Amino acid sequence: MNDPIIQLDDVTTIHEGSTHPTIQNISLKINRGEFVIVGGPNGAGKTTLLETIAGRLPIISGTVLVCGFDVVHHGPQIRKKLGYVIQNFDFDPYTPFTVEEVLLMGRYGLLGFCKRPGSDDFTAVEQSLTQMGIISLRKSHIGRLSGGQQQKVLIAHNLAKKPDVLLLDEPFSNLDLTTREHVCDVLCRIADAGVTIVMVSHAFDALPARGVRAVVMKSGKIVLNKVIPPEQVQDTVRHISNDTNA
Amino acid sequence: MLEFLIPNNMICHATEAMLFASIGCAVLAVLITQMKISSIGFTTAHGAFAGATIGMFLGVDTTIAAIISSFFLACILGPLSEKSRMSIDTTLGVLFGSMMAIAIFFYAWMQQLGIGSGAASLLFGSVISLYREEIYGLLAIMVIVILFVAVFYKEISTMIFNRKIAEIAGIQTKPMIYAMLFMIALMVALTLPIVGGLLLYVWLVTPATIACQFCGTLKQMMIVSPVIAAIISLCGTFISFTYNLPIAPFSAMLFTVVFAASVLIPSKRQITNTNERVEMKV
Repeated sequence: MNDPIIQLDDVTTIHEGSTHPTIQNISLKINRGEFVIVGGPNGAGKTTLLETIAGRLPIISGTVLVCGFDVVHHGPQIRKKLGYVIQNFDFDPYTPFTVEEVLLMGRYGLLGFCKRPGSDDFTAVEQSLTQMGIISLRKSHIGRLSGGQQQKVLIAHNLAKKPDVLLLDEPFSNLDLTTREHVCDVLCRIADAGVTIVMVSHAFDALPARGVRAVVMKSGKIVLNKVIPPEQVQDTVRHISNDTNA
Repeated sequence: MLEFLIPNNMICHATEAMLFASIGCAVLAVLITQMKISSIGFTTAHGAFAGATIGMFLGVDTTIAAIISSFFLACILGPLSEKSRMSIDTTLGVLFGSMMAIAIFFYAWMQQLGIGSGAASLLFGSVISLYREEIYGLLAIMVIVILFVAVFYKEISTMIFNRKIAEIAGIQTKPMIYAMLFMIALMVALTLPIVGGLLLYVWLVTPATIACQFCGTLKQMMIVSPVIAAIISLCGTFISFTYNLPIAPFSAMLFTVVFAASVLIPSKRQITNTNERVEMKV
């Protein structure tokens, strides 16, 4: 298990146009197959941490290695191995794409120039649809689905990519409890298969039964980083958030 | 090229120009409307208009001046927006006003000086005054646009879906955006002499909005939009020649009539949409 797939060494990043760094001097090692929950109060830098790992932000100092590649110099290679379920998506009701097309888009980054999707790609899409329980929606237009269904489609889009690392930003925000448990179950299974999960969440009522690594952030810094039982995650995060508000 | 079908040289040239311009613009129209960058198309169109009036004032080729001006605009849009810390929409608003001011200034000045007798054609277009080279240019840019969309369809469709998701998927979005801007700029500059700076926008938006009423997928739009644009433009050209009407304004009005009809007539898309909503409620 001691095979770091994500490694941040003394990293400081800043949003474009901002004068103050959003996260400062962060160091973090995440091993292959780990299930990491990132918590903390609003504005703590959780989404920024995910964006930094995904190589989407300028790094002022330090190094970020994902799958052995430096995110600054090997962005395209890393993005082929990385899935990222974004927060705050908003699809127009007339977005001209079906669920199946959206999932296929997850495979496009893996295809080369001028290459069309092949049988492997369609199989991966089929598997993801089945995994997320949305096979009946495959021909529906994504813009006309409910928020929860769209959330599931976006997770499936990333699963179709067969990533080594899956970053999720508030994946449960639009889901009811039953669906959260289902999604969490799917995530646990893919983590067991060796995929590293890093999930920012405020909802801790659907967590894997096994121990998870809790990373709690506060004011752009990591204040807690340890493996704890799932039932302790909510209290731990809440305790630190309350400390911040006090 | 179409002399075997249309023996009259003038009608043949006008038909060819309208056909190539409408197909190229209609394919770009799908990108412009679906990527929600219609203000970029609008500003580039007026940038080309400003460039052409300057070109006419200086006595240089108006098409070349329009191309240079459109390319210049496409190049400075992104950096200017970042440097001025304004949203791209606000930057476009400023640029649009500036381009319009430049165009009107030179147009009015030429009127005062009694030069630039063809300046009105830059405003309203003159499809019958095109040179053969300009028609070949239109054909070339039409083919380039179609090839670009065919080759980069998967990248384009992902960017239309969501630019952030496209970047995460590993697609190089910036070069794609710049390539699109340059093609819009080139298409606009070459279409300007045909339909004029004021009407150009109709060709860059309306065909896609009509196609949108009937099509559920991007692929369908990419086919239906140019087909509709070609049919309307050809009808407009032939009716205009028959009844001695101004070609570009009449064709633009035809586009508007067809758009209104497409909105009023219940389309398959609207019916499908209603059915899907009913199914979801059930």
